[in-house]
Amino acid sequence: MQRQGFNRTAVILHWLLAVSIFFLFISSWWMMGLPLPSPELQFRAFPFQLHKNIGITLVIIIFMLLYVRLRHRPAPVDSTLMTPSMNALSILVHVLIYGLVLAVCVTGYMSSAHTRWDTVWWWSIEFPRIAAPDEEMNEFWGELHTYVAWALLGIVAVHVSGAIYHAFRNDGIVRRMMRW
Amino acid sequence: MVSEGLNNNSPSWASILGVVAIMLGVFLTAVHSNEAMKQMVIVEHMPVSGIMPEADCPEDELEEEGISVAECEYLIDHVKGIAMSAPDWFPSAQATLSLVGAALAFVSIIIGGALVNYTPWASKAAVAVFTGLAAIDLLQFAAVVNTGPTLREVYLGGILLWFVLHLMLLVGAVAGRHTEASA
Repeated sequence: MQRQGFNRTAVILHWLLAVSIFFLFISSWWMMGLPLPSPELQFRAFPFQLHKNIGITLVIIIFMLLYVRLRHRPAPVDSTLMTPSMNALSILVHVLIYGLVLAVCVTGYMSSAHTRWDTVWWWSIEFPRIAAPDEEMNEFWGELHTYVAWALLGIVAVHVSGAIYHAFRNDGIVRRMMRW
Repeated sequence: MVSEGLNNNSPSWASILGVVAIMLGVFLTAVHSNEAMKQMVIVEHMPVSGIMPEADCPEDELEEEGISVAECEYLIDHVKGIAMSAPDWFPSAQATLSLVGAALAFVSIIIGGALVNYTPWASKAAVAVFTGLAAIDLLQFAAVVNTGPTLREVYLGGILLWFVLHLMLLVGAVAGRHTEASA
C-alpha cells in the first residue's frame, strides 16, 4: 500500500536541505566580503569552516533523502493533475537538483582540498589531505563551485515556482511534501 | 492501493498562505542565522585595540578572489566601519533577536505545512508565529534606528521589507480565521 505523500523522514530531510542550501548561499555572499586572512585577521576562519561543515553534511543528507525516497516511494501523482510534459519537467528538475547539490558539494570540497587550510568536520573529525596546496587547482575548482552554485540557484527557483504554482491551484501536489 | 493521509479539502487561502509562509520561512531562517553569525564573528575577531592591521593582499589571493588591491583594503575598512558604527549593546541585541527570529522562522516552516494540510490548530498557530516574526522585525528596526547612519543604511530597508511581508502573512492568517468562523 502506497501513501499519497512522501515519507515523513523524506519531508524532514527535504526541508533541512532547503534551509541549509539557502544558509550556505546567504552566508557565502557575506563571508566573501570579509577581509582576506592574515595572522592578525581571522574573520573568515569560522564562517568558512562552518560552510565546509554544512556542505559535507549536505552530501550525507542528500544520500539519506535519496535512500528514503527510493525505499518509500509515494503513489504517483494523479494524471489529471499534471500533464505528461509537466511531469517530465518535474522529474528533470528533481534530478538536476540532486545532481547539482552533489556537484556543488564536491567542487567546493575539491577547491578547499587544494588550499593550505585543513578540513576538520564540525571541528572534530579531521579529513585526510587528498591533495597538496595548489593555487591553480584551487582556483579551477573554486570557479566551478561558483558556476554550479549559480546553476543550482536557478533550478531551485524553477522548483519553488512549481511548488507555488501547485499551491495556487490547490491541487494537493505540494501537500505531498508537507506532511508533519 | 493508495492509503489516506493527505487532507485534500483545504481551502485555497490556507494552501497559498502555507506555501508562502514556508518559502519565506526557509529564506528567513537562513537570513537570521547568518545575521547572528555575523555579529558573533565580527565581535570575536575585532582587535581589542580597535585598530585594524594593514591589509594583507597577496597577488595570488587577489586573482583568486577577483578583486583589486583597493577592494582588498576596503574589505578591512568595511568591517571596521560596521564594528565602529555599532554601539556596545548592538551586537548582542542583534544576535539575540536574530537567534529568536531564526527559531520562529523555522517554526513558521512547520506552521506553513500545517496550513497547507489545514490541520485544526494551524491558523491559530500561524497568527501567533507571524505576530512573533513581525515583533522581531519591529524590535530589530527599533534597535537599528538607535544606532548611526552606517548601520541604518545597511539594515533598515531589509528589515522594513520583512516587516511588510510578515504583516501581510499575519493579516492573511487573521482573514483566514474570520473566513473559518463565518463558514
